[in-house]
Amino acid sequence: MEYFTIYLLQVLRKGRQCNRWTETFRQCLPAPSVQRKIIMRINVVSLLLLISCLHLYANGNAQRLSFSVQHLTLEKVMDKIEKQSGYAFWIQTDLLRQSKKVSLSVKNQTLTETLDQLFSGQALEYSIIDKTIVVKKKAPPAAVKETVVPLIPEKKVRDRVGWPDRINREQRLQELQRMEREIRGRVTDENGVALPGVSILLKGTQRGATSDSEGQFELTIPDSGSPVLVFSFVGYLNQELSAGNRSILNVSLQPDLKALEEVVVIGYGTVKKSDLTGSVTQIKAREINAFPNANVLQALSGRAPGVHVRQSSGAPGAAISVRVRGGNSIQGTNEPLYVIDGFPVSGNPTQLNNADIESVEILKDASATAIYGSRGANGVVIITTKRGKSGRTVVDFETSYSSQKLIKKLDLMNAKEYAMFYNEQAVNDNITPFFSQAAIDGFGEGFDWQDFVFRKAPILTSSLNVNGGNDKTQFSISGSAFGQGGIIKGSNYNRYSLQTSIAHKVSDKFRVDFSSTLTRLTTKRKDSGGGSRGSSMINAAMSAPPTLTPFNEDGSYRVLSTAYPFIATDIRNPINFINEQSNEIRANVVLANLNLQYNLTKDLTLKVMGGIENRDDREDRYTTTGFFNSQGAAVVEAGQFTSFLNENTLNYTKSFGEKHHLSAVVGITYQDFLSTSIAGSGSGFLSDIFETYNLGAAATPNVPGSGYSKSVLASYLGRVNYNFGDKYLATISMRRDGSSRYSEGLKWGYFPSAALAWRLSNEDFLKQNTTISDLKVRSSWGLTGSPGIDPYSTLNQLTSGRTIFNDGYANTFAPGGVLPGSLKWETTAQFDIGIDLGVWANRLFLTADYYVKNTHDLLSTVLLPTSLGYSRTTQNVGKVRNSGVELGLDAGILKGAFTWNINGNISFNRNKVVSLYDGEDILRDNVGVIIINDATGILREGRPIGQFWGYLEDGYDDLGNIVFKDLNEDGSISQSDKTYIGDANPDFLYGLNSTMTFKNFELNIFFQGSQGNDIFNASAITNTMDYGFGLNMPKSVFYDHWTPENPDAKYPRISLRTPVRVSDRFIEDGSYLRLKNIMLAYNLPTQRLGIQQLRNLQLYVSGQNLLTFTKYSWWDPETNFRLDHSSYPAAKSVTFGLRVGF
Amino acid sequence: MKIKNINLVSYLQWPVIMLVVLFVTACDEMLEEAPKSVAVEVFYNTAEEVEAAVNAIYTPLRINTFANYVATLECQSDWMYGRGSWDPLSQYQGLNDANITRVGGFWNGFYLAIRNANLVVSNAPKGSAISEADVKKYVAEAKFLRAFCNFHLVRNWGAIPLRTENNMAEKDLAKSSVDDVYALIESDLLDAEMNLPDTPSAIGRPSRWAAKTFLADVYLELKKYPEAAARAREVMQSGKYKLVQVASKTDFQYNLFGPEILTTTEEIFYFKYSRLDGQGNYILWISNHPSTDLFSYDGAYAVHGDKTNPNYVNWDEGDLRKKLWDNIDFGLGPNTLVSSKYVDPNAISQSGAGNDQPVYRYADLLLIYAEAAARSENAVSADALEALNNVRRRAYGFAPDAPSEVDYDAAGLTVTGFIDLIVKERGYEFLYEGKRWHELKRLEKVNELILAGKGKTVAAKHLLWPIPLSEMNYNKGLNPEADQNPGY
Repeated sequence: MEYFTIYLLQVLRKGRQCNRWTETFRQCLPAPSVQRKIIMRINVVSLLLLISCLHLYANGNAQRLSFSVQHLTLEKVMDKIEKQSGYAFWIQTDLLRQSKKVSLSVKNQTLTETLDQLFSGQALEYSIIDKTIVVKKKAPPAAVKETVVPLIPEKKVRDRVGWPDRINREQRLQELQRMEREIRGRVTDENGVALPGVSILLKGTQRGATSDSEGQFELTIPDSGSPVLVFSFVGYLNQELSAGNRSILNVSLQPDLKALEEVVVIGYGTVKKSDLTGSVTQIKAREINAFPNANVLQALSGRAPGVHVRQSSGAPGAAISVRVRGGNSIQGTNEPLYVIDGFPVSGNPTQLNNADIESVEILKDASATAIYGSRGANGVVIITTKRGKSGRTVVDFETSYSSQKLIKKLDLMNAKEYAMFYNEQAVNDNITPFFSQAAIDGFGEGFDWQDFVFRKAPILTSSLNVNGGNDKTQFSISGSAFGQGGIIKGSNYNRYSLQTSIAHKVSDKFRVDFSSTLTRLTTKRKDSGGGSRGSSMINAAMSAPPTLTPFNEDGSYRVLSTAYPFIATDIRNPINFINEQSNEIRANVVLANLNLQYNLTKDLTLKVMGGIENRDDREDRYTTTGFFNSQGAAVVEAGQFTSFLNENTLNYTKSFGEKHHLSAVVGITYQDFLSTSIAGSGSGFLSDIFETYNLGAAATPNVPGSGYSKSVLASYLGRVNYNFGDKYLATISMRRDGSSRYSEGLKWGYFPSAALAWRLSNEDFLKQNTTISDLKVRSSWGLTGSPGIDPYSTLNQLTSGRTIFNDGYANTFAPGGVLPGSLKWETTAQFDIGIDLGVWANRLFLTADYYVKNTHDLLSTVLLPTSLGYSRTTQNVGKVRNSGVELGLDAGILKGAFTWNINGNISFNRNKVVSLYDGEDILRDNVGVIIINDATGILREGRPIGQFWGYLEDGYDDLGNIVFKDLNEDGSISQSDKTYIGDANPDFLYGLNSTMTFKNFELNIFFQGSQGNDIFNASAITNTMDYGFGLNMPKSVFYDHWTPENPDAKYPRISLRTPVRVSDRFIEDGSYLRLKNIMLAYNLPTQRLGIQQLRNLQLYVSGQNLLTFTKYSWWDPETNFRLDHSSYPAAKSVTFGLRVGF
Repeated sequence: MKIKNINLVSYLQWPVIMLVVLFVTACDEMLEEAPKSVAVEVFYNTAEEVEAAVNAIYTPLRINTFANYVATLECQSDWMYGRGSWDPLSQYQGLNDANITRVGGFWNGFYLAIRNANLVVSNAPKGSAISEADVKKYVAEAKFLRAFCNFHLVRNWGAIPLRTENNMAEKDLAKSSVDDVYALIESDLLDAEMNLPDTPSAIGRPSRWAAKTFLADVYLELKKYPEAAARAREVMQSGKYKLVQVASKTDFQYNLFGPEILTTTEEIFYFKYSRLDGQGNYILWISNHPSTDLFSYDGAYAVHGDKTNPNYVNWDEGDLRKKLWDNIDFGLGPNTLVSSKYVDPNAISQSGAGNDQPVYRYADLLLIYAEAAARSENAVSADALEALNNVRRRAYGFAPDAPSEVDYDAAGLTVTGFIDLIVKERGYEFLYEGKRWHELKRLEKVNELILAGKGKTVAAKHLLWPIPLSEMNYNKGLNPEADQNPGY
């Protein structure tokens, strides 16, 4: 793929006055086949450079030239001429290569004189068009030497008879001159930016014109008939417009997405989308920035097949995890590797503002990820930030305001129902009912704790990007702010970031790129979730009695735990958490990269990259003396993480003959990871005024802590891409990684991959096919690894601690509970077969993949008999298998004035534990909520990861107690009666995005869903089954529980002795379909209104999470993957926004 | 080859190759791990290091484990009742899942302490910079604590895998017989008795007198009464200990079990707690009720008493210890009693009370002596009676060593009658100290006294706890059928 880079540089060099490229380039084409090739090459770089540099003009005058050269390459001489004249050359690379060396001496000569002299000895000729000197192969003597008017016949004619064809030119012109008029107009791109150099042709003739620097054109057309103008420009779709009676015709050209062959960023390089051999999904800036999201991960949800985004809660800034093609690892991380502008970052890329992202590529199969070796097994997400583009400096500003609120409230008992409910429980448990009839009659709806805890909260975003440059230097600078309030008072998430990228061409051979992101992240958390019997804020919001209010008469906080004799001692008034407890994290994140690129030869480029990632964060937690039972407690934790990266790669690109294209990269990389931490805390404060800023004032200062950890990853990598005639594509890659984390002798691992692709649509038998426009089958296999373990895991370290003698501390040193073992990488072998199919000029484009991933040497927990003193060790023994199918579809359903595009994706993944140590089950996902303290999940051979494990219920006995199935028929209910009760894995995940535009309006609808996944609703254990502790519950518990009259009720008898177990009762269908976003936008027709300063202006209103279709009973199925345990609920929001470009 | 034809690639060839070679050789060094921590292989060399390793034996015993353990045992006594998840313990029909899990935690804690003790026993003698005397002292302390763990394990679970410094790395280990376990306990304690200091370097470490007290208790358990009496007598004669005199309930709460006292004359071996981060006693959270204001972090009153229990009904009102029960109706009826033996109004967290947890105090030793002496002599000697009376007098607020109006009289007292008095006294004295259940088992009075106290019959399976699955499933030395305790 690197050959594009080489080519790109040449284009840059040759294209100083690229405004005339198209024209000149068409005229100089010797034959259609060659033309095709060059178009392709141009297309490759066009996204990066070509379009944007159209605005660039050189002011060189036709000066007289003087220089003297001896035996110099033609290229060098051209450079001199370019510099002196201000004219640019256009020449094909091949011709340049074939040219002879030149010796030439000119003194004060005109340009033409010089050029005549220069080319006299060469098999080349030239023509001057505007400020470009087009050089081509000397035509046969019969050919016309110079063409002035760009005449472009229709394609078919051209193909048949060759080109240029101007046999009857004179004659035709005469005819046309009889009745004529002038038509004028302006050509712009889809964003309203003037397009110079567009060719405008009067259909059916060879008469034409070219748009000027302002995009303006003028053309003489016949006054009668219905003259049709054909607008064509490289990289854009041809547009035919009837002139009618108009004398002014403004045109906006739409980019030709097919022709503008997209470049896809892959590991250590880029590749044309059509040349891809692996499975890579690209997500564009537009989708990532479609609606306010706290980070890029959230924005990926539903956008790419095979990518499952799981939010742990609805809290602002909450952790998000991403699974690419299922999870491979039981013990290690299953998160993909994130690479920002070539830097593999640690953890989630939350430092980036979504507005600063140009594109995201998700590498899924081994062919794509194996170049990342030991870190590639969970997929790789490559994030590319915005780069500078040469041309006019453009300024983009966008801002939005959202208002969020709780998606849904639970329908809980009101005060009257609550009192009756607990009276009934008291009767059942032979306790005197607490509430008198008079008291019950006096209760109404009571207090709504959900309304009290959850509020409306805003999200404010704004970003400003300034982008521009010239052919030597390009820059992009963005400043942005994202601020999200939480729907619980006192929680928020803020990010301020400054993104810079500068690229500079020092010389023709040497290029420097620098990019940096500086980010300040602050978040205040109010995510006291989990817990039981109202011990956490979220659980208390559900559990607090509706008969009570948060405040006593005197304004003090009501103590709920002693409000009634029967109420749980654990319950806390949520106002304590809201007002009297704070948790703030502030982080400064730096990511900076310097990239030096040197062209050793025209085929060989050396790249040296140095980068640093640094994160300094500090967390302050304070519980005031006003908190229930608190004397004030402060905790401060600070950490510093630094990662240095050095990558040195050699890139080689070469074409052999017409059909063989080879590109290769080899490299050596080094990255280290250093973490240090420090923590201090204390309790017992005289005053809350200190907060966390005077630990020394604590009555009880706690033991301070600090930590250190360092690891190193050293690697060799290599990859070869081979392309034969754009039909057969092959990729082979290998990475050798050495990591300090593994045991001696097991530190190094090899990660090879190979892929083949066949582009059938370029075969002769499909070339002429009018239905199939693109067809490629690809297949790959490779090995990737997963880091799995933390540094020092294989060492038998002692941990320090404290114990008490006398009345003070004494040091302790002992091993931990995990017996260290000899460990190596987890390795995943992945096979992928895929197909890319475009039909009807790619109006319908389908991508389908089938994959199988087998992970072996899985780091597995090996449980040890606890009498050993170690509870477990880790060994590379397990095997896990994931397989699945992914489908992605893009459809341009309607074109024209009303356009409608749909893209959808769906993915099916199945995973299975193939083997575990000794075939032993591993119980996990323990839920501890007082009445239940048990595992909810099991890892067992042959079953999926995410298998729920528990008891089956079998109705009620005569007393209204739950009957559990005695599966082993031993007459008692014990752990051995547990069985499979559900599966957290979805049958499939899907996303559907629809965009409709009509005139200046745009409507975007985005649905996302998950089907067939179960959720273990641990929230419901406390809040539907834990009777006798005064906890509020859903109305359904009150209205549908066991009584002798209602023996088939949903809930059992209301008694504190009702036995509860981890049973199928708590397994709920977590399927959902959610309208993630709906947006209506209006694009101000700035051109039509003649607002020259504005490039574009869009106003929009959108809604997030407005509709959810689900059977799930609790707050939200999306933010509670696998387990719902009173987590911060998700919000829906309405957004108003503005996007404006200057 | 002519020099001018060498292109840039050739120029760079050698530097690049050299770089690669450098990188390759540098790599293996770069990949060495250098943690800023110590490892098992390089530790246990100096007295300080060995002491820190000995200290680590206490951690798994002290932190939360022991408070929960005491509470669990008390639920099974003839006096006290478990609430909520502790309730099944007071039903005596075997353990349910929640309590199987809970006692599994105690198993893990005891064995973790045993591992840390074995590391000391095994490594300290190999230390490069430690004196012979120090090795002996620390090994003795480790063995004392290992014996402590085994003594509790064997009484709750019966035969158990016996982990020593010789088999500490063997994953699969069969059970040892109860006799073998006691043999190791005895030999460990004999070592401790010989090598522990007369006065330890810090309060909270065992002295040789603690070892003798412990040994007396073990001999009592083993019905080796003369040995028990002899060891106990030695401790009494040492003059190191005496009962703390009290005048009120508050004296009990603050001067004997209080959060702020460093030690007392009665302390033989306690687990020490302090109002420091993560170092407090958790038992207050288990025992207290929020309404008492005796503990600054509420309390779960998870193990409570009942006014109608005959033991309480028949308890003399003049006994100050009776006042350590508060009558609080928290929803379980008007007869509910909540213990206020352990109080700390200034605790720093739920598990942040300063109260020490008695394991052996002098009152215990006196009663061990009284029983062992009476049994071995088959007569109620004056010394034995005095020992019992010491404890009884103090409880009524009298000077422990001066005759008082509440003294038991030797007249007409049979050995059996005397022992019954001791058993009753022990019930009053050690409430919420986790002694009663083991005592009932030792005396073979489980069925009788629990029926009398609580009107419950005890299922046979309730007498031993199940070996946790974390052991049964992964120790291939155990036979899942034969080696699990009956009923599980």
